[in-house]
Amino acid sequence: MRRLVALLIAVGAVPLAIVAYRIQIDQLGSSSARSLAIVAAGLSFLLAGLIAWLRRPENRLGPLLAAAGLLLLLRQLRYSDDPLLFTVFFALGELGYALVAHAVLAYPAGRVTDRAERVLMKVGYATLIVLPVATLLFHDGSRRLLGFDEAARESLLLLVGNGEVADALQKALRVSFYGVLSALFIAAIVRRFVGASPRTRRIFAPLLLAAVAIALRAIFQSVSTFFDPPFSDEYLFWWQIGAFIALPVALVAGLVRARMARAAVGDLVLELQRTPPEGLRDALARALDDPTLELAFWLPERGGFVDPAGQPIELPPASESRAVTELEHEGRPVAALVHDPSLLEEPRLVRSAGAAARMAIENARLQAELRAQLDEVRASRKRIVAAGDAERRRLERNLHDGAQQQLVAVALKLRAAQGKLGDPAVDRLLSEAVNELQGAVDELRELARGVHPAILTEEGLGAALESLASRSAFPVRLVEAPEERFPADVEGTAYFLACEALANVVKHAQASRATIDARRMDGVLVVEVEDDGVGGARPAAGSGLRGLADRVEALGGHLRIESPAGGGTRIVGEIPCGS
Amino acid sequence: MTVLIVDDHPSFRASARALLEAEGFEVVGAAADGESAVELALVLRPELVLLDVMLPDMSGFEVAERLAGAAASRIILVSSREQGDYGQRVRRSGALGFVAKDRLSGAALRELMGAAA
Repeated sequence: MRRLVALLIAVGAVPLAIVAYRIQIDQLGSSSARSLAIVAAGLSFLLAGLIAWLRRPENRLGPLLAAAGLLLLLRQLRYSDDPLLFTVFFALGELGYALVAHAVLAYPAGRVTDRAERVLMKVGYATLIVLPVATLLFHDGSRRLLGFDEAARESLLLLVGNGEVADALQKALRVSFYGVLSALFIAAIVRRFVGASPRTRRIFAPLLLAAVAIALRAIFQSVSTFFDPPFSDEYLFWWQIGAFIALPVALVAGLVRARMARAAVGDLVLELQRTPPEGLRDALARALDDPTLELAFWLPERGGFVDPAGQPIELPPASESRAVTELEHEGRPVAALVHDPSLLEEPRLVRSAGAAARMAIENARLQAELRAQLDEVRASRKRIVAAGDAERRRLERNLHDGAQQQLVAVALKLRAAQGKLGDPAVDRLLSEAVNELQGAVDELRELARGVHPAILTEEGLGAALESLASRSAFPVRLVEAPEERFPADVEGTAYFLACEALANVVKHAQASRATIDARRMDGVLVVEVEDDGVGGARPAAGSGLRGLADRVEALGGHLRIESPAGGGTRIVGEIPCGS
Repeated sequence: MTVLIVDDHPSFRASARALLEAEGFEVVGAAADGESAVELALVLRPELVLLDVMLPDMSGFEVAERLAGAAASRIILVSSREQGDYGQRVRRSGALGFVAKDRLSGAALRELMGAAA
C-alpha cells in the first residue's frame, strides 16, 4: 500500500516538475540547464523522502524530505503571473527551506530532540511564514521583488500599498533567515558533529557537509542582498544546486549503507564459522562498523555480566557516548553489546547481527563462563593457601603461648628448687629433669618453627632465609635475599619452598653444600635452591615437591625442577609479587 | 641487683621471680604489658629490666626503644623462642642481650651484665 502511495506521489510530481520547469523558462527567462537543475533539486528531495519513507515508515524523516521536495517544486509557482498562484506560493513557498533544515536537524531519528535546535526550527518556520505574508500585505507591484523579474505581480493580500515597506520586509527575511538563522543552523550542526561519536561522525559527515554548504550559500545570498558578491551569480547558483542535490543523495547513501551493513551480517554467519570465540568481538565490530564495540556475557549463576576474559563488569549507563543492546534467547538474557549510540538508530541491524552470531555468542559465553570459573578456582586456591598460612601462624602462636610457656615455667621452678633441699641426689634428679624439660622445649620450639617461623612474620623473607641457612645441618650459602617485605602468602610460599628444598637435600641428595638465592625480578619473586648432590629428583614421586608446585601455582606462579642424574638439583620457584 | 620482670604470662612472672630471688636478685616489680613496663621502669628505676619480646600491647623491642632514652636500666630480652627467630632485631633494639626463657638463670644474667660491664 505504501509503495502505491509513494508511486502515486512520484507520478503526481512529474506534471508539477514540468510546470516548475516551464515557469523558470517562460517567466524568469532562465536557461533550460538552470531550470532543469532547480527541478532536479526538488525532485531529489522528493524521491529521497519517498525512499526513506518506504525503508523506515515509522521514521518521520521520509515525509519531511518528501514535503520539502514538493514545496521546493511548488515554490516555483510564486513566479507565475497568476495572482492566486503568486500570492499562495509567495506566502508558503519559502517553507521548503525550513523543511530542509528541519530534516537535517531531525536526521537520523526523524525528530529534533535538542531543545535549542527545536527553538531554532520553530523560529525558522515562523520567519518564513510571517515575513512573506507581511510582504504581500504591502506589495503593490511598484517595486521589483527580490529574485523576481521585472514583470509586476498582483498580491491578493494587499492591504496598504507601500513598495518600500515590502522591500524592507524582503530584506528582513534575507537577513533573518538566510543570514542569522543559517549561521545558527551551521553552529548547531558543528556542535552536534563535535559532540558525536566517531561512528556517528563517519555516517553523518556527507549529510552534514551538504547541509553546511546549503546554509553557507544562504548566508552568501543574504550578504549579496546588500553588497556585490565576490562570486558570480552563476557560481553561487550551481553551488546551491550541487548542495541541494548532494543532501538527499547523502541521505539515501546512509540508507544504502545500513542496507549494506545488513548484508554484511549475512557474511558474518560465514565468517563466524571459521572464527575462534576470541575473534567474535572483532567480527561483530566489523559487521556493525563499530570499532568501539564491547561484548559482555550474562552468567545466570552470578546474576551478572562478565567480559570475554570472564571478569565481572558493570554495563555502562546509556549516555551520549555509549549505548547497550541486550541480546536474549527464548526470553533469557544471553549477552549484551556495548556500542556506539548511533547503532540505536539501526535496531534491526543490531538484532540481526545478534541473531546471526547467536551460536558463536553462546560458545563465547560458555568460554567466558569457564574463564570466570577458572578465576574463581584460582582465587579459591589462593584463599586456601592464605587460610593455611593463617592457621600455621595461629598454631605456632598457640604452641608459643601454651605448652612452651608451661614447660618453661616448670623448668624455672625446678631450677629455683635446686640447691634448696641440700640433698645432692635430689639436686641431680632436678638437674636431669630441667635438662629434659629444656630438651622438650627445644623440640617444641623446632616444631613451632617448622609450622611457621616467627622470624618470617617479624622480619620477613630475607631474615627468615638467613636464619634457615644458618640453622642447616650442612653448609648452606645464602647468595641473595630481599630485604623488602612481600605479601604474607608470597613470603610464606617462598620460605616453605626453600625449607622443602633443603629438607630434600638432606633426605635424598647426598650433597656437600647448597645455595639459596631469592630476588625480585620484574614483578616476580624468584627463589632458587641448588645443591651439588646426586640429582635425579622426580617431582611426581613424592608429595613434597608436588605440594610445593601446587602452592606456587596457587599464587599464579610456577615451579621448575632441574635434576639430572649425577648433576645436582636446582629448584626454581617463580612467584608473582606485584610491581 | 634490682630487677623488673615484664611478661604477660603470670606463670613466667611467678617462676622467674622465684628463681631470681633464689639466686640473689631483688625483684622490685612486675608488669604484664608494655605501657605498664615503661611506667614502672621510670618509677622504680631497676638496674635490670627482664623484658619479654611478645607483649599484648607492643613488642619488647618497642619498649626497649622507649626505655633506651628515658631510663638508666639495662635491658635483657627474654622469649620462649630463640634469639635467631628474631633475626637482627635483638641486636638493633639496644638491649644488653637475649636469654631464652627456658635457659634463664641468675648466672646467665650476670654473664650478660658482666660482658657488658
